[in-house]
Amino acid sequence: MVRWAFTVDLERCVGCQSCVIACKAENGTPRNIHWMKVLEREEGEFPYAKRTFSPTRCNHCANPPCVQACPTGAFVQRKDGVVWVNQEACIGSMACMSACPYYVPYRWDGGEGYFGQQLTPYEEVKMRGFKRGAAQKCHFCYHRLDEGRPPACVESCPADALNYGDLEDPESAVNVLLRQKKHIQPRAELGTNPGLYYLTGKGGGTIGGGGDGRR
Amino acid sequence: MALDLPALMERLWSDWRGKPKVKGLADAKFILDYQVQRHWDWRVAFYLFGAGTSAGLIFLEVLLRWLDVLEKTTALVGMWIGLTLALLSLVALFDHLGPRARWRFWYAIRNPRTSWISRGFFIVAVLVLLRIVVLLPSVPGLGGLPWGEDTVGGNVLRAVVLLFALGFMAYSGLVLSSWAAIAFWNTPMLPVLYMGYSFLGGMAALPLIALVTGGSAEVETLGGTLWPWVLGLLLGNGLALLLYVWGMATGIRPARVSVRLMVRGPQRWNFWVGVAVLGLVLPIVIVALEVGGVMGSDAVANVLLVIASAGTLVGGYILREAVLKVGVYGPPV
Repeated sequence: MVRWAFTVDLERCVGCQSCVIACKAENGTPRNIHWMKVLEREEGEFPYAKRTFSPTRCNHCANPPCVQACPTGAFVQRKDGVVWVNQEACIGSMACMSACPYYVPYRWDGGEGYFGQQLTPYEEVKMRGFKRGAAQKCHFCYHRLDEGRPPACVESCPADALNYGDLEDPESAVNVLLRQKKHIQPRAELGTNPGLYYLTGKGGGTIGGGGDGRR
Repeated sequence: MALDLPALMERLWSDWRGKPKVKGLADAKFILDYQVQRHWDWRVAFYLFGAGTSAGLIFLEVLLRWLDVLEKTTALVGMWIGLTLALLSLVALFDHLGPRARWRFWYAIRNPRTSWISRGFFIVAVLVLLRIVVLLPSVPGLGGLPWGEDTVGGNVLRAVVLLFALGFMAYSGLVLSSWAAIAFWNTPMLPVLYMGYSFLGGMAALPLIALVTGGSAEVETLGGTLWPWVLGLLLGNGLALLLYVWGMATGIRPARVSVRLMVRGPQRWNFWVGVAVLGLVLPIVIVALEVGGVMGSDAVANVLLVIASAGTLVGGYILREAVLKVGVYGPPV
């Protein structure tokens, strides 16, 4: 059985935001909605100050708290691990937002497009897929996955910081990278088993003695 | 990384001021830091308070009628007031949830297997329906229905009401504590605290209703039984609140940030003046004087007891709102 997962190489990410733009272009998300984000953090003080970047999106957890919390069953987990939102079933209860430790889902309540009240032809086409008052979030570009293409964010990354693959396939890009580099799963202590691994440096194995069963 | 608390508080507070058309992190800068939840506002707090207090009220009314402590008229008026409060709180909730929830509210019952929201919706819907059924015999022309007071059907119905009222009081805390994402809510103390506050809300509302329906004499009769329990519950809730805040203050970092936001940050006035003084200390002093027999039974005593009851109710609402508003997510990485 396939289980899709991402890796994010924190050493390679330069914070260019091309993944953010690629996601927007691919999915046409409304203004102020960002399924993909690159979070920044400033560390240290001059002259040793540095800025680190952490690309963040839905982690498509194996035990997704959003799916459990959703009262309507609008959050659906596919057999390949991708979690998506059935906007027809969503009533906007925002339980998903409270339950997600990564604060990923959004609820769009309508509003202007990027260029004011008048939507562009592109926005008109894309916005038809979004229900006002319903939750939305990254769906791993499953329409692309089903065609054998990579998610838009992965494809656009110029630094090869983002990768994806099948966790169950030992030779997938994700598993190769996990063998090569140290990695962490964000907020793994909550038991969500996110489908995201941050690669943090050379040498395989988890950081902090975490046992995810991968080498 | 050192925590710059004043800057964090200023940022989290400023997050509350904006009202974006998007619920989520839309208006936040893309920084890796603590984030306060901004999607549930005072209307959800009012729902938790109103429906909880109403459940506490109906629980006490049924119980005190069985014990023959409460006058029939007071119980009946109280039930109508409780039903109105529950419906008002549902209106506030659905107003907050928006148009999709208003027209598809029954969808919320689809996932009771894992979702506490779903379970709560089921409980509150059944409770409201049961209350309507219980109240039907009191409607002129429907007095002959076979489940009036002191009938077998009526007693069975009221026993079921008691169960569902208890269920909702527990639910109002369980729904928040079921989510690990926000550490300040993710504790078994919260359901205990909210259950105590729901009971307390019912106990505080009952003398106010008795004052309207039966005047001072009714309050005096009821008070003989009720005030010692109110005092005990006030002290118990104070202790539970202390344990909750102290437990969170010694917990993981997002929980500690929440505690700071509550006791020293933007919610400090609400917490100290609203929850602590108005909702606990003042009622404890007044009710203790009443229980100790110091106050007597004149008009001043009644006014003071009304103030104590109203303060308890206001404190109960402010607690729910403050707890919601200081819910903090840890950094997602």
